[in-house]
Amino acid sequence: MKKYAIAVVLLVVSVCAATRTYAQEDRSDGIIRSLLLGLEYEVKAGVSIGGTSPLPLPQEIRKIEGYSPTFCFSIEGDVIKWFGEKQRWGFLFGLRLETKGMQTKAQTKNYSMEIFGDGGERIKGNWTGMVKTKYRSTFVSIPLVAAYKVNNRLRLNAGPYVSFKTSGDFSGHVYDGYLRENNPTGNKVQFEGDRIALYDFSDNLRTVQYGVQAGVNWKAFRHLTVSGDLMWGLNNIFKKDFETISFNMYPIYLNIGFGYAF
Amino acid sequence: MKLKIFTISLLLAGAACVSCIREEALNTEADIESCTLAGDVLNRDPVIENEKVTLYLKKTADLSDLAPEFTLTPGATISPASGTKLDFSSPQYYEVISEDGRWKKRYKVEATTSYNIPTLFQFEKVRTTKTAKGEYQIFYETDNSGKETIVWASGNSGYALTGAGSGADTYPTYQSNIGYRNKCLALTTRKTGKYGADMNMPIAAGNLFLGTFEVLNALTNPLKATKFGIPTDAVPSRIQGYYKYKAGETFYELDKSRPDKLKPVPDKTDIFNIYAVFYESTEDMKTLDGTNALAEDNPNIFAVARITDAKETDEWTEFDLPFVFRAGKTVDPVKLSEGKYSLAIVFSSSIDGDRFSGAPGSTLCVDEVTMEYRDE
Repeated sequence: MKKYAIAVVLLVVSVCAATRTYAQEDRSDGIIRSLLLGLEYEVKAGVSIGGTSPLPLPQEIRKIEGYSPTFCFSIEGDVIKWFGEKQRWGFLFGLRLETKGMQTKAQTKNYSMEIFGDGGERIKGNWTGMVKTKYRSTFVSIPLVAAYKVNNRLRLNAGPYVSFKTSGDFSGHVYDGYLRENNPTGNKVQFEGDRIALYDFSDNLRTVQYGVQAGVNWKAFRHLTVSGDLMWGLNNIFKKDFETISFNMYPIYLNIGFGYAF
Repeated sequence: MKLKIFTISLLLAGAACVSCIREEALNTEADIESCTLAGDVLNRDPVIENEKVTLYLKKTADLSDLAPEFTLTPGATISPASGTKLDFSSPQYYEVISEDGRWKKRYKVEATTSYNIPTLFQFEKVRTTKTAKGEYQIFYETDNSGKETIVWASGNSGYALTGAGSGADTYPTYQSNIGYRNKCLALTTRKTGKYGADMNMPIAAGNLFLGTFEVLNALTNPLKATKFGIPTDAVPSRIQGYYKYKAGETFYELDKSRPDKLKPVPDKTDIFNIYAVFYESTEDMKTLDGTNALAEDNPNIFAVARITDAKETDEWTEFDLPFVFRAGKTVDPVKLSEGKYSLAIVFSSSIDGDRFSGAPGSTLCVDEVTMEYRDE
């Protein structure tokens, strides 16, 4: 998977470098020809903040005591094809390399859990207490969205995207609370101090995710753009057969980016 | 920048809408949290376990006319109702239903005015408890009529929490078919797997004792989770029985800095422990536990019987241990008849197992244990 990610990075970088050479010549023949065909190019870099969360929050979660968006970056190359005489409507196709992550600390009540260790260990029960979660995944995403030109400076886009996970980590631990073994009537066991139970569900993350995104792109200067896109995942980040976490979790991130339009 | 601020506030507003903390669900637990009896009839605090309540009553109490009152998990209900008069000549059963109505638990409530501890322990009887992954055994003894007399405590319910055990004989405490006579008790020191190690409890010695294993504290304070002793109205003089012992291959000590929390100790051989303690239960010290059961300066301890010549052997070997009374300790006959004294009997497959030191694989078998009491 890592090799794949590296290949994609190289591809994006070389595309950027190639287009940049054109750009330096400022409106080189190629770009002008593209413009005549209704094609526009843009590269951008951004940061994402957001979370991966069940929607709505399940009743088991009583309090969010801590949340950190962590540093999530993205780089993206887009091609937009404008249609019609007025060229108001267009279609955007892109390639985005991105990370999505977060860290949370939540207080739960009667949170049903089942964890498996490498040695065949299995613990099942209902947890009342603290849960700390760390999530970080990298993706190669392809946005396929419709674009609408409000005016020469402002563009709106909305549409679906599909993401392919290149690496993923979903892990954490439970602490300061108690477990009811098997079900709410089972043996009650307290966890305090250094008594914690670690979990790692990284292997259960789904590879292909999809969702919808919507955003604005504003041409601040002739070549410099500022954009904001909300990306809303529509399928659970976990595989279908993964039942430990009884509710679906969706990634919802806002990406703020600066781009160069050719 | 205005745009950025605008979009961020939009997102935050959106996130606030979908991620509101919802109303708390009704309680799903169905616990008896406390139990009281009207009048001055209790000899000791009620012993409340997950599915059982034991009431040790004064000898003068009338078993046939008791109306225990319970407090429960908030919102839960109990039937028969709290305060109902019932005949406790034989155990009574109660059903507690959780606030949300989806969970129920059946409690056995037992009251006793007799503090006779059996004189012979044969380890022939076990019942099994199901876990997420398998089952473990609980030893109990019966009298000639088949009536249950005592239930042995062990750390098995704690081991179940590590998720490492599967079948009954993969737990630290289990029944073996190759006894001195029929079946016997087998105790094996075992690794506790990934989760046990994560909790700095990398091994578990097999143990069996008279008393209660408080699984609630099994992880936070394991030494205090083993509550040693049950009331007795006789003064023990000797404990005798048979054992076999095989030490595990590698002796380990707890080392929190290592990933598996185990540090091998070369040239050290594991050994087991068998001991019994006769002590007075007081307000300050209702029962002994792993922190003080053998303490030399424990003022509540009257007498200790302890194996001193423990050795590795694959032949059934007799042990015969006299209770050695500590200086200045005289048994008060009134307190004795009132059940103010207690007896603890403890077997462990690794002598330092309570501090998570021992050799995985060390196995102690015990059978046909007899107690002798003084005539008083």
